Amino acid sequence: MSRMSRACRCLNCIMPPHILRKLLESKQEHIREAALSTLLATTRLRGERMVRAATVTGGAPANARRTIFDCRQGTFLPSAVFVRSESDPPSSDASVNQAFDGLGTTRDFYKEVFDRNSIDGRGMRLDGYVHRGRRYNNAFWDGQEMVFGDGDGELFTDFTGSLDVIGHELTHGVTEFTAGLIYHNQPGALNESMSDVFGSLVKQWSLKQSADEADWLIGADITTPAIGADALRSLKAPGTAYNNDLLGQDPQPDHMDRYAQLPDTDDGDNGGVHINSGIPNKAFYLTAMEIGGNAWEIPGHIWYDSLLASTANSQFQDFADTTYSKAGQLYGTAEQQAVLSAWRQVGIRITGVLAGSVGKRTKGSAGGMARDWDGLAALTKQIETLSNEVKSLAKDVAGLKGRR
Amino acid sequence: MKITLATHGGQIAAMRLGRAPRVLNADSLTAAQKDELARLVAAAKRETETTQTREPRGADLMTYVVSAEDEKGTVTLKQSDSEMSPAFSALLDWLESHLPAK
Repeated sequence: MSRMSRACRCLNCIMPPHILRKLLESKQEHIREAALSTLLATTRLRGERMVRAATVTGGAPANARRTIFDCRQGTFLPSAVFVRSESDPPSSDASVNQAFDGLGTTRDFYKEVFDRNSIDGRGMRLDGYVHRGRRYNNAFWDGQEMVFGDGDGELFTDFTGSLDVIGHELTHGVTEFTAGLIYHNQPGALNESMSDVFGSLVKQWSLKQSADEADWLIGADITTPAIGADALRSLKAPGTAYNNDLLGQDPQPDHMDRYAQLPDTDDGDNGGVHINSGIPNKAFYLTAMEIGGNAWEIPGHIWYDSLLASTANSQFQDFADTTYSKAGQLYGTAEQQAVLSAWRQVGIRITGVLAGSVGKRTKGSAGGMARDWDGLAALTKQIETLSNEVKSLAKDVAGLKGRR
Repeated sequence: MKITLATHGGQIAAMRLGRAPRVLNADSLTAAQKDELARLVAAAKRETETTQTREPRGADLMTYVVSAEDEKGTVTLKQSDSEMSPAFSALLDWLESHLPAK
């Protein structure tokens, strides 16, 4: 068997995928892990080549400098007025300053936590547009810049007022320049989830909040009292951000059993990209809570590396498998078990990992509780105990018969 | 003329899911308002017909579908945030201020 695993490692350039997939069914855990690791590595390399080819711009790096434009309630961005550059003092316009500061915090987060230089990894300029449209309850990324509305004042206030929303939009750019997750169905829901996860992490990092101190809400700072909603979305409890006559109930699922089968159309939200993102959102939350400490550290790195290893059409299963693999590569069994458990709780089982598989959970780097965990050994012990009890009962029955 | 406006996508896409389009019946408008509406629809239609449409790039974009129905037939116009023409934007602005509340 060790000869086969050595063969797997040195032949990972020419081992056909169908053989690797067969190896995923092996009863030997180390063989399954080697095959999974090889399959993921080749997929990642293929994806990285595609993303690199698509993002060669030839432009000079811009040191991630920020520039803010005022749309003055218009919708045609080329008509927006330049109002603040990287070296300018604060504006008298709070929206301008909030966008400027939020983009800066998000930029600094990516640099300090992941050593990523802006959206494209090469210092891409950060252009923000504020006061877009009238009563515009939205913010978006258009492939080049981030655009923010003022809200209608009834349901929402100025969208620049939410650091997690600003981080959410910038992260769409990061996703575009890395995995390139297409904005439809499961890849689109993953795209949305990456933005919610890293948007939330930007806020947590700026506030120095640990996972158990964070609110795990997106857009909590921009809802009005009249809306009767906690936020746009909750990573901790998808489906609970709001529930009233005005908005209806938050339709986000927190488990694959409740996956929303929506058409890939405009009125189907492209297959529910803002809906089904609840499932991977919850998986990240659970992972972060299980590992403990600051969510942007171990869990954030697992997720970020997994984003870089993903491709345009990655499904939930693919991403889950990648996070499991990355957790093992970057950290250890404890973190890997946390990821395994999190995905299982949202209804996704990691490929090639048998239910109740054996693993020693050691003290994680984040200082979590140490416990030993051997599912198969525990089951064997239970069977042995029951077997002894049956033998004892049989002896008693034989004794009773003998006395008659 | 009957106008419907359906709005999809964006950060609040989940809140809009399954909502019926908003409807404006031009019978409730003054003669001047009817004329203005007809002019705005015609201008937006001209701009939309001359503009190349492609799947918009980006995320959290909202999409707007305006249907104008009269005795001559139905005109349907669709644009998203990142590719909005000035005429379509003007039509949307007018509709937002005249349509019944959301």
